[in-house]
Amino acid sequence: MSESREHKTILQLEQVSRFYRTRGNVFRGGGRLVVALNKINLSLRQGEIFGLVGESGSGKTTCGRLIVRLEEPDEGRITLGGEDITHLKGKKLKDYRRQVQMVFQDPYQSLNPQVTIADSVAEPLITNKLGDPLDHLERVLKVLDTAGLSPSEDYVYRFPHQLSGGQRQRVAIARAIVLEPSLLVADEPTSMLDASYSAQIFEILQGVRDNMGATIMFITHSMASARYLCDRIGVIYRGHLVEQGPAEQVINAPQHPYTKALIDATPKFGRSSEVPTYGTLLAAERPATSSAGCPFFRRCALAERLLCAGTYPPWHDVAPEQVALCHLLQDAAPAASSG
Amino acid sequence: MENKTVQILKAKRRALWRQRFMENWRVFMRNPLGRIGMSLLVMFGLMAVCSYIPPMIDPMYHPMTGVDPKVVSSVGPSWQHWLGTDFMGRDIFSQLLAGARVAFLVGVSAAFMSVVLGTAVGMTAGYMGRFTDTALMRLADMIMVLPTLLVVLMLAALFGQLSIWMIVLMIALFRWPGVSRIIRAQTLSLKQRPFIDAARVSGASHLRIIFRHIMPNVLPLAFLYMTFRVTSAIVIEAGLAFLGFGDPGTVSWGMMLQWVWKTGYMFQAPYWLLPPGICISLITLSFYMLGRAMDEVLDPRLRDETQAG
Amino acid sequence: MALLTVENLGIGYQTAKGLLKAVDGVNFSLEPGRSLGLVGESGCGKTTIGMALMGLLPPNGRITEGRIVLDGVEISTLPEDELRKVRWNEVAMIFQAAMNALNPVKRISAQIMEAIQTHRPDMDDDAALLRVEGLFNLVGLPLERLHDFPHQYSGGMKQRAIIAMALALNPKLVIADEPTTALDVIVQDQILKETKQLQSQFNIGIIFISHDISIVADVCHDIGVMYAGQLVESGPAEEVFFNSQHPYTQALVSSFPTLAGPKTKLAPIPGEPPNLTGTIPGCRFCDRCPKDTASCKLDHPKWQQVGPGHHVLCDHC
Repeated sequence: MSESREHKTILQLEQVSRFYRTRGNVFRGGGRLVVALNKINLSLRQGEIFGLVGESGSGKTTCGRLIVRLEEPDEGRITLGGEDITHLKGKKLKDYRRQVQMVFQDPYQSLNPQVTIADSVAEPLITNKLGDPLDHLERVLKVLDTAGLSPSEDYVYRFPHQLSGGQRQRVAIARAIVLEPSLLVADEPTSMLDASYSAQIFEILQGVRDNMGATIMFITHSMASARYLCDRIGVIYRGHLVEQGPAEQVINAPQHPYTKALIDATPKFGRSSEVPTYGTLLAAERPATSSAGCPFFRRCALAERLLCAGTYPPWHDVAPEQVALCHLLQDAAPAASSG
Repeated sequence: MENKTVQILKAKRRALWRQRFMENWRVFMRNPLGRIGMSLLVMFGLMAVCSYIPPMIDPMYHPMTGVDPKVVSSVGPSWQHWLGTDFMGRDIFSQLLAGARVAFLVGVSAAFMSVVLGTAVGMTAGYMGRFTDTALMRLADMIMVLPTLLVVLMLAALFGQLSIWMIVLMIALFRWPGVSRIIRAQTLSLKQRPFIDAARVSGASHLRIIFRHIMPNVLPLAFLYMTFRVTSAIVIEAGLAFLGFGDPGTVSWGMMLQWVWKTGYMFQAPYWLLPPGICISLITLSFYMLGRAMDEVLDPRLRDETQAG
Repeated sequence: MALLTVENLGIGYQTAKGLLKAVDGVNFSLEPGRSLGLVGESGCGKTTIGMALMGLLPPNGRITEGRIVLDGVEISTLPEDELRKVRWNEVAMIFQAAMNALNPVKRISAQIMEAIQTHRPDMDDDAALLRVEGLFNLVGLPLERLHDFPHQYSGGMKQRAIIAMALALNPKLVIADEPTTALDVIVQDQILKETKQLQSQFNIGIIFISHDISIVADVCHDIGVMYAGQLVESGPAEEVFFNSQHPYTQALVSSFPTLAGPKTKLAPIPGEPPNLTGTIPGCRFCDRCPKDTASCKLDHPKWQQVGPGHHVLCDHC
């Protein structure tokens, strides 16, 4: 899919880190430093759907929030179309958000219960002072249709609680695309929904990419949805990006032990014969060692004590366009450079 | 867009708000407390409106200045005076009606002012956080621990007689901290909700987030607390008046109680003592019941049409 | 003899807008040591059935028709105090969002001991503690974490503690309502494997309620697909999912992304499930059904047998 497109980078994360300080208390004294994201390097290509796959607490949501600048990175640089947006403020931040929008995980929480659908979707138009109320209404109707809520006239004047979860999430998508952003961050948009609704959401997201030319970052915990929707995926484990590459390739030929463990754990739905079992996950977690080593060392069944516990693993170009962060891998013969 | 579509949509919008109102009204009226409170309030409202009638019939029915020339001391109920007269021959029934007017005036305006103040402070503190939050909440704590009645009494002693508006203002100034604490807590929890993040991503400014996204969610709560504040304002005003610090130019139920006590009719004239006492109890009770019924309207468990899973 | 038989079960909720028939005419039975997966979208009545089996329907819900027979005892008509004996002793439930079912201010060991001693008053503390230790070994929790508080546990450990509590009294039937929904994939996989193993070890009957067809396909022997309060297709898991006959099951399966195999386009199911207040004359799925004909809307569909043990509620299959 991505071959036919020009590989133009739209968003780039360079060495981005984010720390949280846990709240201290009387007994423990000051707070502990928790690393949510550790030196993430990532680039999104124009017009692709990039899947960021990880478990809860892996930092995947933080990554999305940094991109839409709901949070600021503590280290590193984020650029959109070459422009540094890491620490934008005020007017410039507002302009940036006309290009970058987000769909949140829980449609029951991401719509204001006291605001009608029309007003929720029109919010970005109002805050950016684009057109008069009648124009807003017209664009809202149009974008609701795009998001699969038609006839949109039936939906505009309702409150969120009068809609089903799937309909609410479509309203949230409508709000995110009403400004026709160039980048859309979708943070687990289907994890709260029934399967029949998720297929609809996938269809709409594909439509947004194909018809509006938007680039989408799809954050998910499900390898299967990432496989279905994404051109490329990145696997993130406890704040470390561990593998990145074309979706089909990463899922059919995963290289990093953690990616393999994820694939082992995913229900195969009658296709277990087609997927090999890797068995890279250690049954019992190892005790913590120095923080310098491989992030996956404690749960990795393949790890070599001296090498993996002591030093941070290097990136290897394991296949064309596919990279993995592991000591035990080797570069594929012609080391193709990759983002 | 076509004019006709716009018309249809406008109708849909009106229908939506009407539907929301009717839904709430139904939940409210389903509650027996709501029905009783509402009917009592309607009764007191009628009393307040009717308070303008007796002085029109005859100047001697004026609650403050009208004196029945034939009466020299307090007499019991009669055809002329349905509830009797006070020590100087003023009609108790028309005083009672006028008292309802004052009770509404004091109760609602003091409650309104304190709730507006409390909501504004609570939302600011909750949304801004950090230093603003700490400063405002310590101020609220300080005012909250002051015994309202005592302080107002001292001020009254200092400045002499207070007008009814001064009393209203004092009550408002001393009763906002409770409201602000609740609104702050609500704002803090709303601030964490994803729809606020969504508004930020949509480009909404802080002011817009406060007024457009947080306020509609705290207003129902503020309104609920207003009904409870009305109760406390009426009680404070009655207490002040009974202790002799009321506005001498108005006839409130507290004033009536003070007169009956001061002139020594406390145990001789039940027709004079009981009506204002009962009225004070009933009106506070009715606002309280109103609040409780409203509480039910705001309860999301009754609002959501939960489907079985 | 079947461990559990559900006959023509109907459950209604009294709501402001009238009686909502959450479950209507459901029949199934479960043999000891077998597992039945109930799948369907939220609002299809699967959780309601689980609650009714436990006798834990909310105050506004009641069984309007049919019977539930557990081990020869009709539990749908038992009075509350009799029911309490059946509950936990014979039927245990692992709730949706079970992590919140633990009391935050009590140690895990004490909570499980209490659950045991409430139903076995003759058991002393030492015996109960021994039992809890046994259960910990069973569900794979480390013994040194026995006396921890719930907040010291991870999500997966809490879920294991809940499973231990459910197994504490050797129930014959366990109802698992979305037991892994809140967990990560890897933890989910471990817990499902252990559940399967425990089940065969102790010959427990399991009713597994989930919206995720890939999970029930992994865990359950038999499947019941529910739609809008009715069972629409039932049979062995392989048959139901890979030889689906009912249009709704087919739609469910084809709207589910898989990890392997050809990358076919997912087919979303258009529309929304019907409102269950009031009566629905014909087939409940016909508004969203590709095979819909005029007669579907008018007449109740009938059960058809399409394979060994494989039944479908549809006139066109």
